[in-house]
Amino acid sequence: MWRKYRLEVIAVVAILCFCGIFLYTSSLMDDAEYAGSDTLGASRVAELAGISEEDFQPLVPQWEPPSGEIESALFALQAAVGGIIVGWVFGYWRGQKNRST
Amino acid sequence: MHIMEGFLPPEWALFWWVLALPCLAFGIFQLKKILAADREALPLLGVTGGFIFILSSLKLPSVTGSCSHPTGTGLSSVCFGPWVTSVICAIVLLFQSLFLAHGGLSVLGANIISMGVVGPLAGWAIYRALRDTRVNMFFTVFLVCAIADLCTYIVTSLELALAYPAEVGGVVSSFILFLGIFAITQVPLAIVEGVVLALVFKYIVQLKPEILVRLKVFPEVKIRAAAGDA
Repeated sequence: MWRKYRLEVIAVVAILCFCGIFLYTSSLMDDAEYAGSDTLGASRVAELAGISEEDFQPLVPQWEPPSGEIESALFALQAAVGGIIVGWVFGYWRGQKNRST
Repeated sequence: MHIMEGFLPPEWALFWWVLALPCLAFGIFQLKKILAADREALPLLGVTGGFIFILSSLKLPSVTGSCSHPTGTGLSSVCFGPWVTSVICAIVLLFQSLFLAHGGLSVLGANIISMGVVGPLAGWAIYRALRDTRVNMFFTVFLVCAIADLCTYIVTSLELALAYPAEVGGVVSSFILFLGIFAITQVPLAIVEGVVLALVFKYIVQLKPEILVRLKVFPEVKIRAAAGDA
C-alpha cells in the first residue's frame, strides 16, 4: 500500500505543508499585500533607475486587460487549455492500454 | 518571473532577443525531427506542454508576502530536452504578453531566456548527470523541476541586475537585491512544483512506458521496474 501510493502521499503532504506555512506566515504579517513578485521587481527597478514607475513606457505598444476580472478570466483560459490537453492525452493513453491488454 | 514591458532598456531587450532566437530555431528543428521519427511523441509533448500552460498560470502566495508562479518546465526538459522546451515556453510567454500584459514583446527575448532556456538547461544538466546512476527516477524528476523553476528566477534577477546595477556595489549588489524578491519567494513553490511533477511523471510511466523507453528518457530497466511496481 505505502509503496504503491508513496508519491501521492508525499505530494499531498507537501501541498498541505505549503498551505499551512502560508496560513501561518500570513497570520504573522499583517501588512503583506501578496502582490506579484513581477510588480515588486518593477518597483525596485524604478528605485534603482531613479525614476517613477509610470515613466517606464512600453517599447512596443501593449494591450492590457481592462480589469482584474478579465485578467483572471484569461489566466483561467490558459490553465483550461493546458488541462484539456493533459486530460485528453491521459484518456487516449488509457484507452490504448485497455485495448492492448 | 516576467520582466514587464518597458522595464528593460532597448539595448538589453535586443541582446536577450538575439540570444533567444537561435535557441528557438534549434528547438523547432529538434521538434520537427522528434515528431518525424515518432508520431506517438506528440501526446507526450501535449502533456508536458499542458503542464507548462497550467502551472505558469497559477500565481501562488509565498512566505515573503508576495505571489509568484511556478514554471512547469522541468518535465518537458526531461522528456524532450531544453530546446524543445523553449519553443513551448515561447508560446506561453507570447500569449501572456499579448493578452495579459505579463511581460511584453520587447522583453519577450529576456523572458524566453530565463524561463525557456537557462531554467530548463540547468534542469537538463542535472537530469543528464543523474539519469544513468542509481538515483531514484522520480527523485531525479523532482530535482530537475525544482532547479529549473528556481534557476528561471535567478536568471530574471540577473537580467534585471545587469540592466540596473546599483550605484553602490554595482551589478552584484542589485543582483542580491533582486534575488531577495524573486528567488526567495520561489523556493517553496519550486519544491511543491517538483513534487507534483514527479507524481505526474509516475502516471506517465504507468500509462505509457513505451514512449519513454523509445525516447530513451531513462534507462529501460528503470522504467520497466517502475511501471511494473505500480
